[in-house]
Amino acid sequence: MKIQVTVNGIAYEKDVAEHRTLLHFLRDDLGLTGTKEGCGAGECGACTVYFNGKTVNSCMVLAVEANGGTIETIEGEAQDGVLSRLQDAFDRHHAVQCGFCTAGMIMSARELIHHTPHPTVKEIQDGLEGNFCRCTGYEQIIEAILDATGGYREKEELVYVREQ
Amino acid sequence: MIHQFSYMAPTELDDLLALLDTTKGGFKLLAGGTDLLVNIRNGLLKPDLVIDVKRIAGAGAITYDVEKGLQLGWATTINDIISSTEIAKHYPLLQACACDLASYQVRNRATVVGNIVNASPCSDMAPALLCLDASILVATATTRKTIPIQKFFTGVKQTVLQPREMVVGITIPSHTKDSKGVYRKLKRIQGHDLGIVGVAVAMVEGRLRIAVSSAAPTPVITDDLPLDVSAPDALYAVERIINPISDIRCTKEYRRFMVSEFTKRLIQEVRA
Ligand code: FES
Ligand code: FES
Repeated sequence: MKIQVTVNGIAYEKDVAEHRTLLHFLRDDLGLTGTKEGCGAGECGACTVYFNGKTVNSCMVLAVEANGGTIETIEGEAQDGVLSRLQDAFDRHHAVQCGFCTAGMIMSARELIHHTPHPTVKEIQDGLEGNFCRCTGYEQIIEAILDATGGYREKEELVYVREQ
Repeated sequence: MIHQFSYMAPTELDDLLALLDTTKGGFKLLAGGTDLLVNIRNGLLKPDLVIDVKRIAGAGAITYDVEKGLQLGWATTINDIISSTEIAKHYPLLQACACDLASYQVRNRATVVGNIVNASPCSDMAPALLCLDASILVATATTRKTIPIQKFFTGVKQTVLQPREMVVGITIPSHTKDSKGVYRKLKRIQGHDLGIVGVAVAMVEGRLRIAVSSAAPTPVITDDLPLDVSAPDALYAVERIINPISDIRCTKEYRRFMVSEFTKRLIQEVRA
């Protein structure tokens, strides 16, 4: 089926197989390999992208469902070679080790900041609950997001509380 | 995805229902896709045709009316429920259950109707819908009917729906509005996970009702109990409706234990 999508501001018109996921369309047909496939089943969040202004697991969206829609991926995050505030904070706080989760983390963090501009540690944990990281232990990621939103103080103990 | 299928996305409900009526071969309706696409990928489902139900105007509607209650569309997402101020105000239990479902980005896609037609014993939305006397609106090309949610589930992943029927909405009546309700879900981790057990307790028109997920072949609900029901009587009522199994997540004894624990705690909370 022929679809039209706008990805990171560029309009594409492509023929895709009906059973192709949005994730594979982005990676294999458009060459945007920043978005990763971890589980392919909605568990890990590595494939998170923006679709019509909301984060989705692109492994669970068909490319044909995106027809007429707007997609944003990690490739659109830096502007003119300058890292976004979030990317820069991830860099400074060593929130990236292997980097496999990072694209998805940045997408989810952006959505979180969009509806909660000054998130608490708990709000960050909740906002990222669909994004797994097997390297960092999350602490650096949380610090980076706190920093990017003006909530980080040097040497502040992170207290992991989550009311039940 | 290895399995190939064709795809259609009608833009009128009548066209969609007509398509259901006439299509030959196996088909599946696609709303959020958070179960369907995973099952196709795993090879558990092999539809010839996937019909997208989201391109129809009003598919994701939420309408509230003091007299008629709450009306949800067939593609209303879980995050639509969470961000609705009217639901927050009048049906807080619905929102509490929604907040515990999967992860943020899954909730952006997953739909309330999908969560119940899937009929998993661990459905997160079912406990709220059971407590709030929801009805399921079912349509074919030529018929319309309403099924109370108490009669909707028939077994693990099974419902009363016939192959060419489609759920076209959920109504939550006005007599359950402004009911206090709480939901607690036990998970292996605090983040995104399926429930080990889930318990909802609601106070509806001065009576208590308790709904439980992941502890029987379907989500279940007790009869109405007096507001001042004693703990042993409430636990007895719950014991009678559950029938947990042991699986990879935990044993049936643990499920039983946690259902009673949550029941006791939530009754206190809802009365407070
Ligand atoms: S690859 Fe999509 S959630 Fe893991
Ligand atoms: S940096 Fe390796 S998975 Fe997160």
